[in-house]
Amino acid sequence: MAAPQPSFNPKKLWKNFHETYHQVIDGEWDIFMPQQTAGLTVADLKETTAQFQKLIGDAKQQGLKVRAIGSSWSLSKAPTTSGWTFNTNRLRGRLKVKATDVDPAYPGTAGQKSGLYLFQCGNTVADVNKALETDAQKRALFTSGAANGQTIVGATQCGTHGSALEFGALHDHIVALHLITTADKHYWIERKSRPVMAKAWVDSLGAKLMRDDDDLFNAVVVSFGSFGVVSAVVLETAPRYLLETRPTQVKLTEDLWKAIGGLDFSVEPFNGDKPYFFQAVINPSSDDVLIMVNYRRDDPGNFQPNYDLISPPKSIGPGFDALSTLGVILDAFKGVIPPFSKLAAKQLFDTTPKTGTPGMIYGYKPPLLHVASGSIAVALPDARKTIETLIQLYKDIGPVPLVLGCRYVRKSPALLAFNQFPMGMMISIDGVDSTTSRAFFAAAPDRVEAAGIAFTQHWGKINSYTPQRVAKAYGANLQKWLDARHKLIPAAADRALFDNDYIKERGLAG
Amino acid sequence: MLKRAIAALAMAATTSGCMQYLVQPPQPSLAGTSQTVQAKSYAGGKVQQPGFISAARCANGEQLARVLVKRNFAQGFVSWITLGMIAPATIEYSCANASEPPMGGGGD
Repeated sequence: MAAPQPSFNPKKLWKNFHETYHQVIDGEWDIFMPQQTAGLTVADLKETTAQFQKLIGDAKQQGLKVRAIGSSWSLSKAPTTSGWTFNTNRLRGRLKVKATDVDPAYPGTAGQKSGLYLFQCGNTVADVNKALETDAQKRALFTSGAANGQTIVGATQCGTHGSALEFGALHDHIVALHLITTADKHYWIERKSRPVMAKAWVDSLGAKLMRDDDDLFNAVVVSFGSFGVVSAVVLETAPRYLLETRPTQVKLTEDLWKAIGGLDFSVEPFNGDKPYFFQAVINPSSDDVLIMVNYRRDDPGNFQPNYDLISPPKSIGPGFDALSTLGVILDAFKGVIPPFSKLAAKQLFDTTPKTGTPGMIYGYKPPLLHVASGSIAVALPDARKTIETLIQLYKDIGPVPLVLGCRYVRKSPALLAFNQFPMGMMISIDGVDSTTSRAFFAAAPDRVEAAGIAFTQHWGKINSYTPQRVAKAYGANLQKWLDARHKLIPAAADRALFDNDYIKERGLAG
Repeated sequence: MLKRAIAALAMAATTSGCMQYLVQPPQPSLAGTSQTVQAKSYAGGKVQQPGFISAARCANGEQLARVLVKRNFAQGFVSWITLGMIAPATIEYSCANASEPPMGGGGD
């Protein structure tokens, strides 16, 4: 059945999900999915492609910029455009890749081959989890960010990561993607070293297959929407498993530094039991550390996931917009920040022990506006020095309503991946959007830089990237990324459609 | 100290009269960004403008994923000064994705 035609919404003010900034736009196009009775088909993908291409062509004719936008989850301005936004949230088709559609040269194991899934761009991380974790599929994501509201493409385009010690970031699940660049070009892109889909399947989609090298794929997979519309991705998945969470509150001792700064789990409270997921949340106003560890349990049998987020009728907690007021109060009364930080950590991090699928553990959260978050990644050997540098900054600025969440992620082959280090520690600076928080975010990269520590910053969170910092962080990868953009979108006028201030300010536009 | 007192007073003044209620299902599936509608309730809701809020952006059988009813300081002040006879509010709604799409493909 044919898809409904895109519908224009003349709204002029776009705001991100957490309402930390607004952007003036020229309107929003709602894109709809064809009615599906038996699941997503190649014909559906072709129809959606044609709709995107027409809109891209129309925008170019009218001199407007465009961007596909999913859940608007980013705290940075990575997804913004001054022109038309394409609302992709309804594009939630998904399909399990048939064995006959897999390229004979696919180097994966039989298990990996049976765990390939295509998801359209509008599927949220929650959608992906729920689709994979059913009894019918019995699969799961290897890792996930803390939230599940981002679309799978929005999250991966900005480098969202979790803290699974033996895996990379969310984008490292992707092994193939469909990219729409202009009114008459669209590509199916894979790594040369990891062919996935059979050429006949790609031909049936009408896309041009690009897998002459690895660089092209590695450029597009983390590119903040700068290469065009990533309309679908193919993920490699894990057999379904459960996570058993064991949160605990401890003091920051020399023993604990061995775990935080070196992933040595022989110390208390781990006692040699290496977790699948590890995060240490340091409250810089005290020596309290919240340890979040999840242990993997394979073969969960017929476990029935329950994803519901229920607010007990008589419970009292922060309102949807509580943090906007708190930011002003905390700026005026800095003395209450330390006790507040303890309370905030409890709101930001679920400290109730539980067992569930990854989709349950990294599940729905109470929505909160005006959160503030930025992340800095460093190599594991620099972990302790970086944390101590940031704690010193905290002491210099004065109490700040923020905590430091230390997560660990393996290196990605993506050219501009946030996870650039063989084993990286990502310090997620989380809290309330306030004047002092913004001062901390502005000063943190300067301090880490002054300490002589190599670092990257999270593209989808508050960051202080400059062209110089991007060049220093990514070296030769930066030019490869720029070359890939020119290769896939040769005409400057076509590249300009997807340019925005965010990539201009970081030396990535043009 | 004066700065703090002013901040506290300003906070008290601008938040009293404000309110916000959010309604969402246990597993929200938003079909896009929120839509904003200005509304007024007269004489305790006996008259409303608009008569009811039509979630017009929810197309093709979509229901609602999220409704936020809020009142800022100015709206709260109007309500207070008119003893509730005029009660303006801002409604934000998000459409819900219509259903869970079936898994395509599979098999050989």
